[in-house]
Amino acid sequence: MAEIVLLEPDTVLADLYIKAFIHQGHSVRRSVSAQDAVFLVDEKLPDIVIVELQLVAHSGIEFLYELRSYSEWQEIPIVIHSCIPPTEFTNSVKLLRDKLGVQKYLYKPQTSLQTLLRSITEVVSPDEVLHQTAEIYMDNDSPRYPIPMSVVTFNQPI
Amino acid sequence: MSEAKIHPVLIGMAGTGVQTEKLFLSLAEQMKLPLLQILKQAELGVLIGNSTEHLKQVHVNADVALKLIDGYLLSMRLASEEAYAIEQEAVSLSSVLYDTAQQLHPIAELYGVKLELTLNGKYGPVTAHRQGLQSALVSLGYALIEALPASNAPQLKLELAAHRCRYGIVAGLYADVDRLTAEALRQGRRLFGDTRQPLPALSHSGGAGVFVADAILNAIGARLKVSHHNKRSGLGAVLQANPQLQLV
Repeated sequence: MAEIVLLEPDTVLADLYIKAFIHQGHSVRRSVSAQDAVFLVDEKLPDIVIVELQLVAHSGIEFLYELRSYSEWQEIPIVIHSCIPPTEFTNSVKLLRDKLGVQKYLYKPQTSLQTLLRSITEVVSPDEVLHQTAEIYMDNDSPRYPIPMSVVTFNQPI
Repeated sequence: MSEAKIHPVLIGMAGTGVQTEKLFLSLAEQMKLPLLQILKQAELGVLIGNSTEHLKQVHVNADVALKLIDGYLLSMRLASEEAYAIEQEAVSLSSVLYDTAQQLHPIAELYGVKLELTLNGKYGPVTAHRQGLQSALVSLGYALIEALPASNAPQLKLELAAHRCRYGIVAGLYADVDRLTAEALRQGRRLFGDTRQPLPALSHSGGAGVFVADAILNAIGARLKVSHHNKRSGLGAVLQANPQLQLV
């Protein structure tokens, strides 16, 4: 089971996600701001960080830059779980995948709790995942499919 | 085309149309949040089976969404009416603030925000459109309640209060958010509808409640203003005292 740092500004949504994570056996620490999330990661290294990009003051992207600027945090798996559709990052796949080491991009309004929980398992313990579902993989900078999708998986490791 | 050939009324209408569209976009973006909360509550209810608690939260979130839509519709209706048709009346600020607190209480509780109602001082009645003023304050309240926990405020307290200022009487909502400035509001007014976070220093969402309140207050001849009360920053409606009952 995973040690999760959840960067989610909305209290109501955060409580719901935390309940689902705990029900699944994960342990969660939650932050509302980029700065606090850095402190949480520093306090204890998580197995995965789940990030909303729309935050007050510093954005989720700024947090990711900050996180990846420390050599000891290069390997922490990152999942973006955001209200911003991935279509807006069509031209930034390389940045998200290679520079910021994002492993999945989940579009919040179209990602069920089940998909979120499954994505955590896939990222943290890929061996446990027996069945690959119909997710769309992006192999290179020219995706085979247009981007309007709820789950984008970057299949190259960091 | 020369500028002289464009009738001023048409220029005005075009301006209003753009603002209307931007307000609608802002509202649509904002609606994602309560609907998403409802969706996740329903999913979690199925996943862990505690449906009663989740149904209560669904009720609160649906109420927020509906009131915000109502506020938007009211602003549209008021904006389309002639100024003389808007029923300005002598309104008791205390009663408006009290009713606003009542309406905001469930969502404040859900977000863990403590609401404080301060009714110190005698302000007498103000001239306002009661429904519009109340709807504007409720919309503002939703925006601030949702924003407060996300902004790492030292205290999760929101104060509903009124005070006198050089422009008149300000009725508003105040919290420990020092990043809420007049410049941030000005910038937000320019950006709303065009960007996802027009008030990035205050809210992680679109903050549509602020702009719905702004539209309502504009339509009823009041103004939304950043103000300060008891060392807290906030947003308030600037109102004028009603002279009708002042001698009684």
